[in-house]
Amino acid sequence: MRATPIGQPVDRVDGRIKVTGAAVYAADNKPAGLTYGYIVTSTIGRGVITGMDTAAALASPGVLAVYTPFNPLKLFAYVQNQNDESAPPLQDKEVRFHGQTIGFVVAETWEQARDAASLIRTTYQQQPPVTAFPGPPAAMEKADTDAEGPDTVLATGVASVAQAVAAGEVTFTASYSTPVQHHCAMEPHATVATWNGDHLTAYTVTQGAVLSVRRLSETLGVDAAKIHVISPHVGGGFGGKWGNWAQVPLACAAAKALGRPVKAVLTREQVFTLAGHRPLTVQNLKMACTADGKLTAITNDGITSRGFAGSWSESVANWTLTTYASPSIQVTKTIVPLNLGAATVMRAPGEANGSFALESAMDELAERLGLDPLEMRMKNYATFVPNTGKPWSSKHLDECYRRGAEEFGWSKRPKKVRATVDGDWLVGTGMGTATYGASRGLASIKVRLSADGTASVSGTAADLGTGQYTVFAILAADVLGIPVDRVRPELGDSTSPTAANAGGSNSTCTNGPAVQVAAKAVQTELVALAVTNPKSPFHGKDPAEVVYRDGSVSSGGLTMSFGTLLTTCDVGSVEAVGTSPRLVDPEHGFRSFGVHFCEVRVHRWTGEPRVTRWLSVMDAGTIINVKAARSQIQGAVVMGIGQALLEATEVDQGTGRFANGNLASYLVPVHADIPPIDVRFLDHPDPLISGLGAKGIGELGIVGVAGAIGNAVHHATGVRVRELPITLEKLLGS
Amino acid sequence: MRAFDYAAPSSVDEALRLTKPGSAFLAGGTTLVDLMKLDVLTPDHVIDVNRLPLNGIRLSDGHLRIGALERMSAVAAHPTVMVHFPVISRALLLSASGQLRNMASIGGNLLQRTRCDYFRDVTAPCNKRQPGSGCPAQTGVNRTHAILGSSSSCAATHASDVAVAFVALEAMVVVRGRGGDRIVPLEDFYLLPGNTPQVENQLGPDELIVEVRVPVSPLARQSTYLKIRDRQSYEFALTSVAVALSLRRGVVLDARIAAGGVGTKPWRLRAVEDALKGNPAMEKTFSDAAESAVDGARPLAQNAFKVTLLKRTIVRALIDVAGVR
Ligand SMILES: Cc1cc2nc3c(=O)[nH]c(=O)nc-3n(C[C@H](O)[C@H](O)[C@H](O)COP(=O)(O)OP(=O)(O)OC[C@H]3O[C@@H](n4cnc5c(N)ncnc54)[C@H](O)[C@@H]3O)c2cc1C
Ligand code: SF4
Repeated sequence: MRATPIGQPVDRVDGRIKVTGAAVYAADNKPAGLTYGYIVTSTIGRGVITGMDTAAALASPGVLAVYTPFNPLKLFAYVQNQNDESAPPLQDKEVRFHGQTIGFVVAETWEQARDAASLIRTTYQQQPPVTAFPGPPAAMEKADTDAEGPDTVLATGVASVAQAVAAGEVTFTASYSTPVQHHCAMEPHATVATWNGDHLTAYTVTQGAVLSVRRLSETLGVDAAKIHVISPHVGGGFGGKWGNWAQVPLACAAAKALGRPVKAVLTREQVFTLAGHRPLTVQNLKMACTADGKLTAITNDGITSRGFAGSWSESVANWTLTTYASPSIQVTKTIVPLNLGAATVMRAPGEANGSFALESAMDELAERLGLDPLEMRMKNYATFVPNTGKPWSSKHLDECYRRGAEEFGWSKRPKKVRATVDGDWLVGTGMGTATYGASRGLASIKVRLSADGTASVSGTAADLGTGQYTVFAILAADVLGIPVDRVRPELGDSTSPTAANAGGSNSTCTNGPAVQVAAKAVQTELVALAVTNPKSPFHGKDPAEVVYRDGSVSSGGLTMSFGTLLTTCDVGSVEAVGTSPRLVDPEHGFRSFGVHFCEVRVHRWTGEPRVTRWLSVMDAGTIINVKAARSQIQGAVVMGIGQALLEATEVDQGTGRFANGNLASYLVPVHADIPPIDVRFLDHPDPLISGLGAKGIGELGIVGVAGAIGNAVHHATGVRVRELPITLEKLLGS
Repeated sequence: MRAFDYAAPSSVDEALRLTKPGSAFLAGGTTLVDLMKLDVLTPDHVIDVNRLPLNGIRLSDGHLRIGALERMSAVAAHPTVMVHFPVISRALLLSASGQLRNMASIGGNLLQRTRCDYFRDVTAPCNKRQPGSGCPAQTGVNRTHAILGSSSSCAATHASDVAVAFVALEAMVVVRGRGGDRIVPLEDFYLLPGNTPQVENQLGPDELIVEVRVPVSPLARQSTYLKIRDRQSYEFALTSVAVALSLRRGVVLDARIAAGGVGTKPWRLRAVEDALKGNPAMEKTFSDAAESAVDGARPLAQNAFKVTLLKRTIVRALIDVAGVR
């Protein structure tokens, strides 16, 4: 038997084409006769469009069409909620946010479209936009928390969580807030649409080709069978490409109307306003515990913004339900609709912000009790799911804590704050727990063995830079017993069998088992061919006596590789579709776990915080490709460092405009901000999620990062910052 | 971006002759093209100056002379600059990114426009871009804005790092017009916004910067540039300080200090310099002296922290350059 590639550090199979520029992204497609669309955006934050003078734009060179709410492309209402805008663009005259789509200019060149767009004169009837909390009280919506399991649990004999909190020996109350943030994927949102009669082909950015087909089918009123979405490579998503934002329906509908292909790419500024953001949140936490640190009650009242143009909002308090053991817990959710673009999912939506509050609060409470932060967490270790009482499918968080503490040297941590000074730098360390839900959905995958000796593996899944291509290659290579480089994974094509979209960290745990089933099933097809094809040397044999192993078929001393066998039989390929069902297990709680330890330095004169050491220990089930998995965690930690220290989209309160909606002013971390990030995986398979045992890792790594940093900043300086990002002016007093 | 016509003259005279209303010089383009893409600048005629003979970095007549077209990266890495004027080299290396420094010229750097986000967004009012339209930064997003030299018309910072080093070292710009050369101290070259923030400097529309001259001095050899910002690279200064110091037996003989990130132009801190002179080079002297840095400061809602941060930045830079604590 060949050694399994599972768990090895495997180079990305798509790495070479990406670094050489050969990989084709949505905007790289140039069908013959291509035209270019440019989105016109509103310059007010709230109101009604009273007029648009498009005469000059229409007369501008190369212009083919100008669509506005007065002359719209027909788009039918959206039916399903996709965490994007609730309604298709241009269908009414209301302005809900600054930078909203109010027009679409199509011209022979992109420059012509853009220049014509700037000639459109729009008049509005303006109203003052609502852009901050609390907003008008009338607009506050008490909302369902969407919690998995109950959002209130009460210890026996307790009438209300408020009562349980009040009765605590030690109580703690604090409020934590987080700003609007943006995904900032490198690739801007792009769609190229081309029609052949009534068949549409759309090359578009998407976290799931089937999501785009569904959205286009409902808004264009076209049979899904006639829509082909192609999205083999996506330059980062982080949730921002789950929805199908305005450029998708506009390019497709305009291409139909004009009878020519249309390309629409958002500018970077438009990505900020038109393609979603992480909403503003506040968490009001109340905790009670015994004098020795056992939690007795927690309440977390979460407030989240929602864009008036969208329906999604963050269930920011829910992480409190499943992280630490407490006999009474309650979370609530209040939504404040704002005149900002649609809020949407962004890496660990709910958990990334939620954990900042709870991980900070656990430290604050530990400090008050004189407990070590890690001891505080172990005292409240959740052996069962806190809000349901169910056992976990697997949980090795305690091992993560132990191993992390040992390798980080946590026991040497001074108990007091401001205890370590190195030159002009105040040095502190902190930790934060990471957990993220795991699930396995329904997925189908096709494996095809070809006469050239290669195997292709296809499904509608997406690789956002995550490493999904390589996961497909590794798992198929493992089951087929062939080298990884003989497998050709094919992703992002809506005509493939329906696999998991890239979201909720469940691509690998959902698609992985389906790849395994399909790679097994194709072996049966190959053996069937071997015994039935008259040209086969195995013709007429009992299939039970023909075995497939390591890429070859053998029987009675004769062994032939599948490539040779197919060639001998004059058959191009054999294929099989394998399906792995959705996991239904109401008895268990499924999550990935981990812990982050970090060191932060704060300059004693000028206050700038710098992260100088990082260790993450992760319990995410079977690790398929340790190299890509490490990158996922490292990338998430980088994003978490941004969330903690740098990233905030400023809202100009008068207009509702994102004041720094560009990559020069919206600060994401640069290399110099990032220390070496040491990542360890426990690699204990989860026995219940699938035979493969893989849980998710895409989002897990960002959870707990901001909390760990905030805790380290406090340890360094004695200053507790409860509003992200932790910028130097908040530490200058230190 | 709007359509424009383009010329690439090869002599300074020709370049000057080509100027007319609506023309703009193009050097590295990292400011000009950027702002043209945003429709903030809409020149009808672009005059590419890259073929003009405005290169060279040399010492002569007691001055470091830097041709206006020298790239930021070339100046930063020049041995003379590194040895005799470390503050210039450092200020450049802490600016922008490697790619930008390879494109951007010294002349262009001095004329770069503010990073105020309202200035850069044509849908917002802005007195600097559209005189009389208002200054939303006064009450809006103003964390990065100026606390010194600002007016109710404008509080935008001048964003150049190297200009701060130049002002500390009392550099001059050589400006050439159709009538010949003018030599202007850089500090005076820049103007305060007052109620005409659209006029940023003394350069006429038909004039070119041809050279920067920095006097050689023993001070300059013991100099440094400290830049404080949220992220460690690729960001403009929240505060920055250029210091040059001469010490004898632990006493400050002479000092030159200028600050960036805080002023509507590079801000020379003469009162701080005076307070240092004759006093022992120690933390206490530095922090006492730094107090006067913020005289007349006009903080806004989000940038009041710069008052403290500037003083601390000065102390930190002085400690660094004096090698004391
Ligand atoms: C993302 C980004 C980050 C940056 N970060 C920093 C930073 O941290 N610190 C910093 O100091 N700078 C920074 N910059 C600004 C950068 O340094 C300037 O854009 C650059 O120096 C301008 O030089 P240029 O040659 O490209 O000028 P251009 O863009 O070609 O010209 C700028 C202006 O000067 C005029 N001009 C150019 N040369 C002459 C001349 N010889 N005579 C008369 N007029 C002339 C032009 O007409 C134009 O108005 C950054 C820029 C960007 C885009
Ligand atoms: S600070 Fe100056 S540049 Fe900024 S908006 Fe006000 S006038 Fe314009």
